[in-house]
Amino acid sequence: MSSQPTPPAEPRDPSHPAAGGPSTTGPTASTASTAPDRAVEPVLSLQELTRVHGTGAAQVHALRGIDLDVYPGELVAVMGPSGSGKSTLLTIAGGLDLPTSGRVVVEGTDLTMARRKDIAALRRRSIGYVFQDYNLIPALTAAENVALPRELDGVSSRRGRKEALAALEEFGLQELADRFPDEMSGGQQQRVAIARALVGDRRLVLADEPTGALDSETGDAVLALLRSRCDAGAAGILVTHEPRFAAWADRVVFLRDGSVVDMTLRSSAESLLAGGAAQ
Amino acid sequence: MTGRAQAGVPGVGRLHTWRAAIRIARRDAMRFKGRSLLVLAMIALPIMGVSAVDVTIRSSQLTTAETATRELGAADARISDAGHGPQPVYQEAVPGGVVPVQQNPGGKAAAKEVTVTEPDGSVAVAGEITPPVDPLVALPAGAHRLSDAFIYAPVRTRFGLLNVEIRELKAADPIAAGIAELDRGRFPAAADEMAATNGFLKSSGLHVGSQVRVRGLDRSYRIVGAYDLPSQLDAEQLNALPGAFIPPYEATRSTAERAMDPSGVPTYLVSVRGDFTWDMVKRANTLGVQVDSRAVRLHPPARADVPIYRTDFGDPVLYDSGDVRPKAVAAGVTIAGLSMLEICLLAGPAFAVGARRSRRQLGLVGANGGDRRHIRAIVLSSGLVLGAAAAVVGTLLGVVATMLLRGTLEGYVGQRFGGLTLRPTELAGVGGLAVLTGLLASVVPAVGAARQSVLASLTGRRGVRRANRFLPVAGLLLLGLGVAVVFCATMLTDSTYSAVLGAALAEAGLVMLTSAIIGAFGRLGRWLPLAPRLALRDAVRNRGRTAPAVAAVLAAVAGSVAVASYAASQAQEDRQAYVARLPHGEVAVGANGEAAGDLAQVRAAVEKNYPVTGRVDVSRVYVGGASCLKDEGLPGCGRIEMRMPPANVCPSSGPTGAHRLTVAQREALVHDWRCALRWGPSAISASDGVLVGGPAVLHALGVRDGAAEQALARGETVLFDRAYADHGSVKFTVIADVTKESQDGTEPAGAVKSLPVHLAAEEEPYGVVAVVPRRAADAAGFTTTPLGSYYTTSQMPSGAQRQALNSDVAKIGTRAEVYLERGYIGHGNLVLVALTLFAGVITIGAAGIATGLAQTDAEPDLRTLAAIGAPGQVRRTLTGFQCGVVAVMGVVLGSAAGVLPAIALRRGDQHRRWDEYRRELDEGWGAVTPPKVPLVVPWATLALLVVVVPLGAGLLAALVTRSRPDLGRRAEG
Repeated sequence: MSSQPTPPAEPRDPSHPAAGGPSTTGPTASTASTAPDRAVEPVLSLQELTRVHGTGAAQVHALRGIDLDVYPGELVAVMGPSGSGKSTLLTIAGGLDLPTSGRVVVEGTDLTMARRKDIAALRRRSIGYVFQDYNLIPALTAAENVALPRELDGVSSRRGRKEALAALEEFGLQELADRFPDEMSGGQQQRVAIARALVGDRRLVLADEPTGALDSETGDAVLALLRSRCDAGAAGILVTHEPRFAAWADRVVFLRDGSVVDMTLRSSAESLLAGGAAQ
Repeated sequence: MTGRAQAGVPGVGRLHTWRAAIRIARRDAMRFKGRSLLVLAMIALPIMGVSAVDVTIRSSQLTTAETATRELGAADARISDAGHGPQPVYQEAVPGGVVPVQQNPGGKAAAKEVTVTEPDGSVAVAGEITPPVDPLVALPAGAHRLSDAFIYAPVRTRFGLLNVEIRELKAADPIAAGIAELDRGRFPAAADEMAATNGFLKSSGLHVGSQVRVRGLDRSYRIVGAYDLPSQLDAEQLNALPGAFIPPYEATRSTAERAMDPSGVPTYLVSVRGDFTWDMVKRANTLGVQVDSRAVRLHPPARADVPIYRTDFGDPVLYDSGDVRPKAVAAGVTIAGLSMLEICLLAGPAFAVGARRSRRQLGLVGANGGDRRHIRAIVLSSGLVLGAAAAVVGTLLGVVATMLLRGTLEGYVGQRFGGLTLRPTELAGVGGLAVLTGLLASVVPAVGAARQSVLASLTGRRGVRRANRFLPVAGLLLLGLGVAVVFCATMLTDSTYSAVLGAALAEAGLVMLTSAIIGAFGRLGRWLPLAPRLALRDAVRNRGRTAPAVAAVLAAVAGSVAVASYAASQAQEDRQAYVARLPHGEVAVGANGEAAGDLAQVRAAVEKNYPVTGRVDVSRVYVGGASCLKDEGLPGCGRIEMRMPPANVCPSSGPTGAHRLTVAQREALVHDWRCALRWGPSAISASDGVLVGGPAVLHALGVRDGAAEQALARGETVLFDRAYADHGSVKFTVIADVTKESQDGTEPAGAVKSLPVHLAAEEEPYGVVAVVPRRAADAAGFTTTPLGSYYTTSQMPSGAQRQALNSDVAKIGTRAEVYLERGYIGHGNLVLVALTLFAGVITIGAAGIATGLAQTDAEPDLRTLAAIGAPGQVRRTLTGFQCGVVAVMGVVLGSAAGVLPAIALRRGDQHRRWDEYRRELDEGWGAVTPPKVPLVVPWATLALLVVVVPLGAGLLAALVTRSRPDLGRRAEG
């Protein structure tokens, strides 16, 4: 990144039909160029989601009745203290874990009803993950890492590589194509991970503290990339502790003890977060 | 964003998936070089051995042309006397059978009598021989020839006498090229020169430049060169020029000996213009000459053109792969299978370590859409990659090792290779075994890794996997089945193979049960101190990684304990069956036949080298002329035989005795004194166990019987077997000529001599049945000759003294025997030691691998321990105990499992012995004793395995562990 990216200056219009405020019934934010379209189906829909770990005295309610829809072109930030259920929400959204009750629908497929192999196939084709660190497989080059979901899907190595190179080029990362993870910086690794998360037709990016192990400048660069992908039509959920990173999102969802305690547009969130910081 | 790509044909898609998995596995193998090398070595080493054996066997199999050159040199054919006299014969194309065309009733043509002239001038017929045919009668016109003859002769070496083939062949002649390979020096060029094979030089202690002497020949030969026979590298052979040895040596043999043993008759290597064709062979056959033709070997005639197959000689014997003995194949497959199992059990945990260390990576694959199939493929690919690498490395090393060790291998196989023969399909098959082993070893870790949830893999949460419920049940069933098979095989049949199969099934069942049994070990934890308690609990909670290591130890230890138990039981049986030939520490010298002349020298050698304190000489009775002293089997030579009164004869003995009795009667006779086993082994063998000597002989035999001594002094024969006592006397039949003796088991004919007898209280001391005083022998008209001596010693002769005596006796070049009674001396301890070492190494290896795996898991625990103030050595102690726990469980289970096959084998032995015993009873052998088949547990070996090996493994693991915790960042995916 040649210059310091900044969050979009123009606040999105909360009165936009796709916005919807802290309601749980529809999209919450949009931009003028790629406004989330309520007329289309949400990429991700969480309905009455509950997750309980353990039984008896050891029982923990990680999520309590969460409702959330994420539309194409929308980036939703999830914030909250440790143990609030942020990561659980993300793992359930990606089909890595199943809810105790409720529904998880990704691109029309109800993960709670799907077979394990169908969920895996969905992760190959529709869902991309970005974790805090160690996102890339050390034994594969950047291009091979990006091509991995495609190759797992049975696409030939040559075709997978072609698609991966195209994706890397799109992200401005083509010079990293043949480098192994240990030959890249943390920021470069995260950007390659985002490229992998969106290779092929994947339209849902689930990012769990993707900037947690990065300095703020690199973190901003990574967020700018994520934002640009969402602007290009992808849907994303960003779990973060950092208010300044949450400012990149269209909506911010606050969790506490497994429940949504607040859901706000970016503009409101910024003021809220700023106020919180001042206090 | 690129558009959605189609996976295409499912099979092709799966192939692409595998390619990605193999790429990850290949790069991982390069990243973790230590672990990869360990697994590679485990798989490649046996593969190297097997491919080296394959190349060695194939290289040692010669082509027809190579075999022909080694036997015929550069000649076109070898012609020889067909052995049927001067009459037409039929022969096989490749030399083998020969039959005369006209078969006379005796089967031999015109046999000629051979007579022997006795010293007293009488002439006896020694036998019949077929008149020889000179092969040169069949020599084609214009052919070159080279004679080739051999004879065996006793050659004096540095250590004594060696019966050696002495070959008269001008080996330096171009016709002989290829038969013998000159190693150093040269082939003989003069009549007093010889060349020797390296095999002869090695066993004779002679060298190039030494003089060779042959017993009975008053001339010597100088060794001028060393050579090898390419097809028989260990051959002990001397080479001389034609006429240099055989004629002078033949002159020392009597006419009868030469006639009865017509060795030294030459064959001829023949070189003709063109080939020695099958027609030429058939022409030679008409003259009674057999031909081994190179051209016929290379291009054998059609079966219809070989007349011998039209006679009742029959069809040619065809050797094909069906001739391979199924038992050998079964044994090979069993050994290969068990080895593969052992390698899989050892390498399995290493793959499990890999999978565990790569769990984050596998989690990422899962997060990116990899399902269980993909995770399995990645872990299996690590087995595939390392198996394939081991296949290439092992096979290449095997071939290279064979090339480098060619000389040694040729020596071991005993022949020069024709060339280095590589069979690609066989080597590929051997390599395939490596790939299969790698894949099999990674199956369990692959399934385990695939069962892990993606979330747990990503978060690094340490879950304890639930043990497989099916495996213990299947293991229990298999164990039961195995034990049942062993029981049936040993109790109802005598099938050792079934018994071993049953034991193998039971062991496989035990391996499957290992996981459940490890759970049972966990209950011991509460009584243990902290470090062993942690180690045991960790092993029990993580059975997935503990079980393969314990099973590997179990399998190795069970095998060792089985062999050790069997060997110890057999040793015990041997000890019980051992029959001493003399009182402990006593020495005997016996010289029968032609060795009798060396008796004085041998006695002197014994007296010089052993701490002897007394000597008692004994003689024997012989019947016949002076020539009978040398060979009692010649015509005109006889013997004496003790007569048993009919009342004392065992009712079941004799050709028809047994058939008159019922089985019950025969079994009752086992305890009848008349049917007791007689004539145990004797240090000095004499006809019928009858020695001639005085009272001192009784002392030498350990008999303390004053009455017997007095009887001997009185001139009475002392008898140790009451069956021969016949109303106060013992009767001897003097058989005048053994060659005329009837073979139908009836009482031999001859003069009967009766001697007064004293029946000793003791029964057959050391195989001696009777001692006849010289006075009585003379009175009966027996001729006697010195037979040997008994010596008492002041102490048991040492190893050095025994070697010195052996060397002196060898120098005499006698066939006289010196016997020292040392009691039972066991053998095979080396095997037990080797097996114990093998089991120990496997135990330490498997426990080490399991410990490495445990350490990977235990790192957070160790950090926690360090954080709460545990001293540094706790890390070492815990590692030591983790290793020790695996070793202890493995050796305890293995020892228990190993005893079963030993019991199976011994019960099989017992069943077989009892069958033989009953059959002998049925067949009327009265003098049989019920068999005893002891089963001995080798406690020393077990103690070594159960106590020392785990202790050593634990200490070793503790020593090589760092006491400081790893402060680096957490392991990468």
